[in-house]
Amino acid sequence: MCGIIGYVGESDALPILTDGLKNLEYRGYDSAGIALRDGEGDSLDVYKRAGEIDALREHLPESSGSTTGVGHTRWSTHGEPTDANAHPHADESGEVAVVHNGIIENYDELKSELEERGHQFLSETDTEVVPHLVEEELDDGYDLPDAVERVADRLEGSFALGVVSTDFDGLVAIRQDSPLVVGIGDEANFIASDVTAFIEHTRNVCYPEDGDVVTVTADEVSFRHDGEVVERPVDEVEWEAEAAEKGGYDHYMLKEIHEQPQALRQTISGRLDEMAGDVDLDIDLPEEYVASVEEIQIVACGTSYHAGLYAKRLLEEFADVRVNVEVASEYEFTGGRDPWRTLVFAVTQSGETADTLSAMRAASRAGARTLAVTNTVGSTAAREADHALYIRAGPEIGVAATKTFSSQVATLSMLSVYFGRQRGSLSVDRAQTLLEHIRGLPGAIQQLLDQENAIREIAGEYADGDAFFFVGRYLGTPVALEGALKLKEIAYVHAEGFAAGELKHGPLALVTPETPVLAVLTEGARPDETLNNVKEVESRGAPVVGFSSYERGEKYLDTVVGVPELGLLEPLVANAGMQLFAYYVADGMGRAIDKPRNLAKSVTVE
Amino acid sequence: MKAVILAAGEGTRLRPLTLARPKPMLPVANQPLLEHVVDAVREAGINEVVFVVGYERERIQSYFGDGDDWGIDIEYAVQEKQLGTGHALLQAEPYVDGEFVALNGDRILDPSAVSKVVDAHRDRSHSVMAVTRVEEPTNYGVVEFDGRQVTSIEEKPPTHAVSADTINAGVYALEESIFDDLRSSETDGELAITTTLREYAARGDLTAVRFDGLWLDVSYLWDLVTVNAQVIDQFGAPRGDSASAHDESTVADAVALGGDVRVRPSAVVLPGTALGDNVEIGANATVSNAVVLPDATIKDGAVVKDCIVGANASVGPNTTIEGGNADVVVDGEVHEDVRLGGVLGDNTSLGGAVAVAPGSVLGNEADVESGAVVDGYVEDGAVVRRG
Repeated sequence: MCGIIGYVGESDALPILTDGLKNLEYRGYDSAGIALRDGEGDSLDVYKRAGEIDALREHLPESSGSTTGVGHTRWSTHGEPTDANAHPHADESGEVAVVHNGIIENYDELKSELEERGHQFLSETDTEVVPHLVEEELDDGYDLPDAVERVADRLEGSFALGVVSTDFDGLVAIRQDSPLVVGIGDEANFIASDVTAFIEHTRNVCYPEDGDVVTVTADEVSFRHDGEVVERPVDEVEWEAEAAEKGGYDHYMLKEIHEQPQALRQTISGRLDEMAGDVDLDIDLPEEYVASVEEIQIVACGTSYHAGLYAKRLLEEFADVRVNVEVASEYEFTGGRDPWRTLVFAVTQSGETADTLSAMRAASRAGARTLAVTNTVGSTAAREADHALYIRAGPEIGVAATKTFSSQVATLSMLSVYFGRQRGSLSVDRAQTLLEHIRGLPGAIQQLLDQENAIREIAGEYADGDAFFFVGRYLGTPVALEGALKLKEIAYVHAEGFAAGELKHGPLALVTPETPVLAVLTEGARPDETLNNVKEVESRGAPVVGFSSYERGEKYLDTVVGVPELGLLEPLVANAGMQLFAYYVADGMGRAIDKPRNLAKSVTVE
Repeated sequence: MKAVILAAGEGTRLRPLTLARPKPMLPVANQPLLEHVVDAVREAGINEVVFVVGYERERIQSYFGDGDDWGIDIEYAVQEKQLGTGHALLQAEPYVDGEFVALNGDRILDPSAVSKVVDAHRDRSHSVMAVTRVEEPTNYGVVEFDGRQVTSIEEKPPTHAVSADTINAGVYALEESIFDDLRSSETDGELAITTTLREYAARGDLTAVRFDGLWLDVSYLWDLVTVNAQVIDQFGAPRGDSASAHDESTVADAVALGGDVRVRPSAVVLPGTALGDNVEIGANATVSNAVVLPDATIKDGAVVKDCIVGANASVGPNTTIEGGNADVVVDGEVHEDVRLGGVLGDNTSLGGAVAVAPGSVLGNEADVESGAVVDGYVEDGAVVRRG
């Protein structure tokens, strides 16, 4: 996603902005740029390039006399990644420069108006309307904060904007449904899409609310909302930027795969009470409400959606409640439901996923209660939802989600115990069994990770397949989908996950000796039935890799990865093996594993 | 100044525990040996560290990351093949500039060992080696010196040839020039740091510094039990977050508890014991003088004494590991009358009412059925049936 950063202070803005852009790289980008306001306010210098930040650096001076500026990493939505489309965008007088994250939906209309009034456009972006509109307001005599507020009133869509002008010794920012955080330092203040951009300089942050106009100068940050001056609380951030370093691993993804046992120990720490057969999740849902819920809807995207599919089965089985999982971008609160008896889980690692936030807001507008399941304390999802439950997996930098999937499923499993016990549908002894299995996750996943060398060899052996098919049933189905997604994301090979029973209804036609099939053959994945499907593909000559507990089906499998016994959580353990498989296939192909092409970690546009 | 910590070694004498983790990651008082080394280095005022890693290096990297949690910077140098300590040290060359400290990552030692070599090196330009006294010098490099000048280093001499009780403690202050000297040393496949240091000694360029503080090595499995108890006794027992012991259980003071450990009603955990993260001790179980690795479960009524329980292992109800002394064979060598109740490898599962005779060593992923009796060695992944 696009990333923005802005700095106003006493030091040279240039290195601070370029380092900030580097720290935003993880969001994925295809172009980058910087605008610097020179000390006297005589001019704005804009540098921007398609491609990597290092390409931009070649065009930057060694140092600048500027102490105010904005920077941007662009992830293309409107217009291709070109130098012209890169941000910052300026007006024709060169007095205003703007960086933007989000989408301006009515830009067509605004652009036509501006063109009628004689403005020239240099890019195909939605953003470029903003500097021209701001310029007009400045010409009408408004100061920069007023001008930005007046312009924002005319914009529709989602945006976080950072604006600098020759007229104003500082910068102005405003947000509407896009992430923006303000950093308050010592004679140095910042704006950014994410604290990682400036965390080396300050840990004191404010989160502006939608519609806040933020005026930032070297010694002051002020907030205005609907013309009134408002105060926003200052929080201290605990995460460290250095925690984002790779610690001896070639890729963050491999580091994060290996962090799963420890991440899971954090996820469950202090939350399981086996003696009582219950969990302590610290969510204050009223008892009568929990008992009255008729439907749980889970909204999520990508890997989080797969975690939701896993959770659906557990919730239905243990909490005796109807569950629907929806891809967040497809979600609508449709008919036939009582909003008072519908609870919506928004599952998002970052807590900033625009599609998920939008679905969550739609549910909220319809009157349903919402619960965010997220990794990020203080994220938009956590703040806006009625309740928040943290998965506590620690920072995840690799674009392909790994440890957060495991921690999401573990957290949602605990939620299903919570609902089951509160609703009286889950007996103590069954709850204890499930809790024991949740408790056993760190050890079992470590046991699977200890087979890394064997899995690396398997990946090497099958890496040149034409396509890869992942199959499983019941809890094995979401794991099959997730296994395929990992391979698509980082290896750029064709991979599909199917419910194993669906193979014979179509996809079996794709199976050849050149298409390896990876099967989940564990408890909770109806292994005996899936084994029948394994035989179907075997007889078409496809090689089969089985992720198998209790040595199931070994005689039908070309290769077996042993999965330790862990009841209904065995498919989740198998998933760790599929993550390693995807990693080593991609690594063998020399892919940019942590920053796969066209993808971003936290997708903040819809 | 930087410290180079050698942590690439496997520790074959400590199998099965070193099949899935390198020796520096064996836990003592719930901290890896390597973390004890890191603590000593930090206390000596060094906060830039290079780890030379190799065998199962993921375990080290995942645990330490970039060192933030310890307030130090950690860089990783990789030794792909374990070809000796000198070869390991060479891998750190790109990360080191000027003088530096080098030390082994699998010995628990007093921070004064580090500060003393640093101080001695500051006083004179010679390379410096820390030496200490031990009871059984034959297992180590025996060092003779004249004044402060090292005159000879004899690796693992036979008992009759031992001329001194001071040994090489494996802590050095060195100059960058050691890298060239290592490269020009003669080797027969493996290159030890001491090979080059012996050349330094021969030309009078190696200074010895004695220190009398703590210095503990874990050579054999039973050492882990002893060293664990000793460190807990001497330095106290850390208690992790969210660890909980039932009101009706007994947990002695000298017991280290990892995060989220649960001790159930009427269980008894006696001194010298370390329970790793997420370990569960069942009702009425008794655990004494034992090292229990993370995620292991000891079920109701089990007795576990003088023992090492591997990660994610499970000890069934009423299973008895009675503890005590036995003769244990390692690499064909008999070690008589060592105190070792038994060793269970990672992920090993014992059923109910299993009896484990003292000195037994069960490999990883072994599976022992209820009621079986185990005496001696059990291979990795083996199934032991009753009768």
